[in-house]
Order: sequence, then structure tokens, then C-alpha cells
Amino acid sequence: MDLLIKSAKIVDPLSKHHGKKMDVLIENGILTSIKPQIPEQKCKTFKCPGLHLSPGWFDMHANFRDPGMEYQETLETGTESAMQGGFTGVALYPATHPPIDNKAGIDYIQSKTKKFLVDVFPFGTVSKGGSGKELSEMFDMHQAGALAFTDDKKSIQNANLLKIALQYAMGFNGLIINFPNDRTISRNGVVNEGKEGAETGLRGIPALAEELMVSRDLFLAGYCNSKIHISTISCGKSVDLIERAKKSGLAVSTEIASHQIFLDDTYIKIFDSNYKVLPPLRNADEIKALIKGIKNGVIDVICSDHSPEDEETKRKEFDDAAFGIIGLETCFAIANTVLRKIIPLEKIIEKICHNPRKILGLEIPEIIEGKKANFTLFNPDTEWIFSKNHIFSKSKNTPFEGVKLTGKALGVFNNGQWRECK
Amino acid sequence: MKSSLSVNHLLGIKEINKDDIELILKTAEHFKEIINRPIKKVPSLRDITIANLFFENSTRTKLSFELAEKRLSADVINFSSSSSSVKKGETLIDTVNNILAMKVDMVVMRHPSPGAAVFLSKNVKSIIINAGDGTHEHPTQALLDAYSIKQKHGNIRGKKVVIVGDIMHSRVALSNIFCLQKCGAEVMVCGPATLIPKFIYQLGVKVEINLMKALQWCDVANILRIQLERLDNYEGSNSNYFPSLREYTMQYGINLDILNSLGKKITIMHPGPINRGVEITSDAADSEHSIILEQVENGVAIRMAVIYLLAGKAGQV
Repeated sequence: MDLLIKSAKIVDPLSKHHGKKMDVLIENGILTSIKPQIPEQKCKTFKCPGLHLSPGWFDMHANFRDPGMEYQETLETGTESAMQGGFTGVALYPATHPPIDNKAGIDYIQSKTKKFLVDVFPFGTVSKGGSGKELSEMFDMHQAGALAFTDDKKSIQNANLLKIALQYAMGFNGLIINFPNDRTISRNGVVNEGKEGAETGLRGIPALAEELMVSRDLFLAGYCNSKIHISTISCGKSVDLIERAKKSGLAVSTEIASHQIFLDDTYIKIFDSNYKVLPPLRNADEIKALIKGIKNGVIDVICSDHSPEDEETKRKEFDDAAFGIIGLETCFAIANTVLRKIIPLEKIIEKICHNPRKILGLEIPEIIEGKKANFTLFNPDTEWIFSKNHIFSKSKNTPFEGVKLTGKALGVFNNGQWRECK
Repeated sequence: MKSSLSVNHLLGIKEINKDDIELILKTAEHFKEIINRPIKKVPSLRDITIANLFFENSTRTKLSFELAEKRLSADVINFSSSSSSVKKGETLIDTVNNILAMKVDMVVMRHPSPGAAVFLSKNVKSIIINAGDGTHEHPTQALLDAYSIKQKHGNIRGKKVVIVGDIMHSRVALSNIFCLQKCGAEVMVCGPATLIPKFIYQLGVKVEINLMKALQWCDVANILRIQLERLDNYEGSNSNYFPSLREYTMQYGINLDILNSLGKKITIMHPGPINRGVEITSDAADSEHSIILEQVENGVAIRMAVIYLLAGKAGQV
């Protein structure tokens, strides 16, 4: 597919064109020409006021439900929703049924997505069946292409299991990801422990549950001298702990889900399960601390934590409803809406494009002549109201319907394919 | 004084305002007079059908609602299920819609899940009265408690009320806090720190872990039952918020000796059912300090008032 893009501001600190308004010509999937002016060609031309072009975005934390719960999300609908959100790459958590804990599972996802526009990278579980008991065959999965291992939102409760997993994965430079949630503290909690929790009678998840496990995991990684990625944090103290660990030289990275800095826990007062997420929505002070962590670089990655749930698991009493919301379509817009006046645009792009790939050891696409075309077109200033029409996920569990956002993906190009966003 | 509530449902005290509370208490006054007449019944709601849906065990609240409904001449149907509808495979919305399809005007619901009444009010077309939703609210209990305090002390404003016991698992505590604050009382909660939500002070209540200090401070002590069934079960293990009932009683049990040692007279309340000898001994529960049976009587009048005032909104939801 050939395409001419007119007058796009390049956002790619690694490229000499960074910050300049350029015309970009793509022929046979390759960036063949990047110049201030390229005359119209036979191929399709894309132009749009306020156009920006960056290397293709990468979501480091998405859940598709294929195999096992295809009624919630398939690889096709999930990647469609990723493209609509501006992503050309996604890392998939093993939140499938059964959880992906062997080579066959990794192979299944890779073979099914081989010809997609979106590059799909499946993660495997750390433990067999994600049950937190014994190690899964991580090396075998690694050889098949698994870039990292995680027991997802279950969190590895047993300190020794995590210790062994960290040590074992060092043998093949595997990355272990753990979601910090000490369940002996969080128990059956469903919302942030705080004023709103006390007011609604909904059981609280104390920030302590996260902080304890973040410290434990940092100690374990320090002991093993291994790298570790701590997924979807939500508390200021976690940011402090990770900042200290980074300063001491530990190879730790971390992420937040973009909704975590947009929504606070006052929303739970209406008992709408579209505000039931894990980690729970925290209060304004925690959000402030997270934004500070983004600003000073402690938080490496902003992810979608895309968690599709169907109406049957969501439209229920709050206690009984599933955790999680979809997020691929809104991930960038939410982050950009909150952060645009706080950090430069390229810093936001770094966290949804460069850093996830760096952490996973993937090549970072560049906006340079002769390179393979893998980019996202967007306008960071577009104001739009997110509606049902913007949802391409098979599931509709989002609290953002009707919410005004700033910044929108306009199109993605990768693997020789072009998709315009709606 | 206004004659109509600002809400179409009674989901919680949080959602209603001071004028609503005053209107309910005033209306209850009228009904209390009626239920003390030889003919205890009025024909006000002959055209109204009410479904009492109890997804959680209840004896006195259910009886009290049913009696209130019958004294207003409403038609009443009852549905009880000790397990939640979800466990039986049917969703709450389906269960209620099935009952509403039989032309019911109002639903009184008790449910183990916090927010269940709010959730229902958004998903079905009926007037909803919350008769207790998990650890969230129990608004009619708070209203009858307020009524009882007013009856005993003349007014609620300025009164010091302590709620003693398992605050964390109590819907009565939360509704009482909202109601008493709206009526101008000062509220304190007292109990073992393990049973007090860490952030409850942010609702503007005092927190005290020493029973004697709490009793010395208060005019009214509302003693909660230790809700053994609500102590959460996690991965098969019961959480020990305290080592034994015996130790709980040693620290937080109220008896007549304690009341007599205070050097002042305080009013003792209890939402029932009482675990005699645990949170309160018989000599205290049956003493002149206690207004526990008045609370039960007032409960019927309060529920009549709530049902009567909401029935006027039947066409509006």
C-alpha cells in the first residue's frame, strides 16, 4: 500500500525530522521520502489540519479474551480497537481461558495475528494456569516468542515463587511482570479504602496492599539482581519506592493505566460498575503523586489495561460485577487530556511508544527514510466526545461515554497496511 | 412545611435532605397516633401493591414493613431468598422485573450487596425502598432511631450520640451517621479499631476506641449487634477482628453497673436483634435507660410514613 501524507509534524526525538512539518511518502510499506514538499502522487493522499506523525504506538498491557472468552473480545476485534486508538503494537496479558501458560498458547496467538496490521506480542503466565503455585514452562514460551511473563491481576502472592521466577528467567533474559496487590490485605475489597469507601459501605482495598507488595518485589529483585516490571500502580508511595529503587541502580520499570490519572474514587458513589477497576480508582492526592511520577520519569509507561467484559459480567450489583474497563480506544486521549499542559507531547508519546518497546527489548520504529513504515497519525488538539460509535471492542464496558477528550488518533500504518481511525 | 419528598425512592439517607427527614418524622407522628387507636388501619393505599423482596434473612424489618403496608391497606406480596438471586442463576434485574410484570407499584428490598437498591432504581421502573443493602445503608432504621431520640429528648439538634460496636459491617451505623448529622446531632463511633473503617473520620464523626470515654461523652448510645454473619470470609478463613466474643464483651459490653457508674443518665438504643450478654446485658437492655421497644413501635409508624409519602409518586418513576 502506498500513501502520501501531507504536512505532518514529526514527533520522534530519534529522527532528524523531529519537530518539523513534513510530507511523508510511503511506498511498498517503506518510508521512501520525507521532505518539506512532495508533489501529489498516483497513490492516496492523506491530509488533515493539525496533523502529527509519530512512530507507531505500543500498548504494553491489553487483555483480549481469545482463546476462551471470545464473546468478550477476539484477536480481530481487539486489534481493531487497538488500531482505532492509534496503536500498531500490543502486548497481550494471558487473561484468557485457560490462561496462556505453554508454547501452544503463544503459537496460537502469533499464528493467528501474523498478517495483522497490529503487531501482537503475547505474554505467558509465570505459574502453571496462573494459579500461583508452580512455575510454568517459561523458557519454552520464551523460545516461541513470549516477551514477558505475568500472572496478571492475580499477583504472585508467594514471595518464594516470585524469587524463583526472577532467578529462573535471568537465564534467558526473560522479564517478569507482577501486579502489586497483597491479597491478605486487599481481601475481598472492591474500591479504594478511603472516604468514598466508608460512605458507600463498599469494602476497601487499602493503598497498603499495593505498597507492601511493591516493596517486597523490589527487595526480591534486588536480592536476585534481576530486572522486574511492576504493572499498573496507583499510589504515590509506590512511585516513591520505585524512584528510590531506580536511583539505587535496580532494573525496575513501571506503568500506569491512563484512566488511573483521569478518574478518582468519588465516581464510585453512584455504584456504577464501569468505575470498578483493579487497582481501584484512588483519591485526588494519589492522582497528583502519579502525575508527578510521570513528569519526573519514574513511571515509564502509560498503558490501556484494556479489560473487555460483557454485559452479563458488568451489569450487576457492584460487589458481584467484574473488575476492569476497555481502554485501547481512549488510552492516548485520556492521557493527553490530563497531561498536555503538564509535560511536552513527545514525553507522552515516549510512554506509549518508545518505553514499552525498550522494556520488552523490541526495535523502536523510526521516522527516517528507508525504514519500514510503522507510524501513528494523530492530532493532539482535537476535542471530541467519546461515544458508542468510537467503540470497536466487542465489549462496551467504559465509563468514558459522553466524556469530552482532547487528542485523537487519525490513522495507523504498519506491515504495509493503512487504517484510518473513525 | 413542604408536603412532598424531594426523591422518588428511599435509597439511603445520603440522598435525602433535612426537609425530607422532617416531613417523614412529622408524618410518622400522625401514623403513630393511628396505630394506637382501636382500629389501627387506614384505607390510604387501597390501590397500591407492594412487593417485599428479601434477599437476606430478616425477621423484624420484614414484619415491620409488612405491618406498615397492611395498616395502610396496601396489597402485599412477599419474596424471600436467603441466597442472592445471582447464585440461583437469575439476575437481580430479572427477578424484580418478573415481579413487576405482575403489576406491582413499589418494591421494598433487602439485599446483601452495597448499592443494590441504587442499582435497581436505575434499571427497573418502580418505586424502591431500601430495607438494607449490605454494609451500605438502612434508611428506615436511621429514621426510626432519629424519631425515637426526638421522642425521648424533645429534639435531635445538639445531642451527642455514640454508635458502639461493629461499625465496619454495619449499614445501621452509616445511615445513622448521615441522618443524625443532617438533624444537627454530634456523632461518635466506638468499637475495636479493627471494626472501624480507617477513613470514617472523614465523614465528620468522632472516633473513640475506649467505651467508657465514649459513654461519658454521649447523651445517647446506640448499641449495635455483633454481626457474625457479616464478618468477611476470605479464601475459606474467617477473619478474626477480635479473638472471642468473651473478650469483645469484656471491652465493649454494656451492663447496668457501667451505666450507673457514669454519674449521668444516658439513653440506650439497639436496632435488634440483641445478643443478650454480648454487646449488652439484660439488666441494661431492660432498664429505664433503654428505649429499645419504643424503637420497634416507632419503626412501624416510620415505615408507614415512608411508604405513604412515596406512594404519592407512583406515576412518576
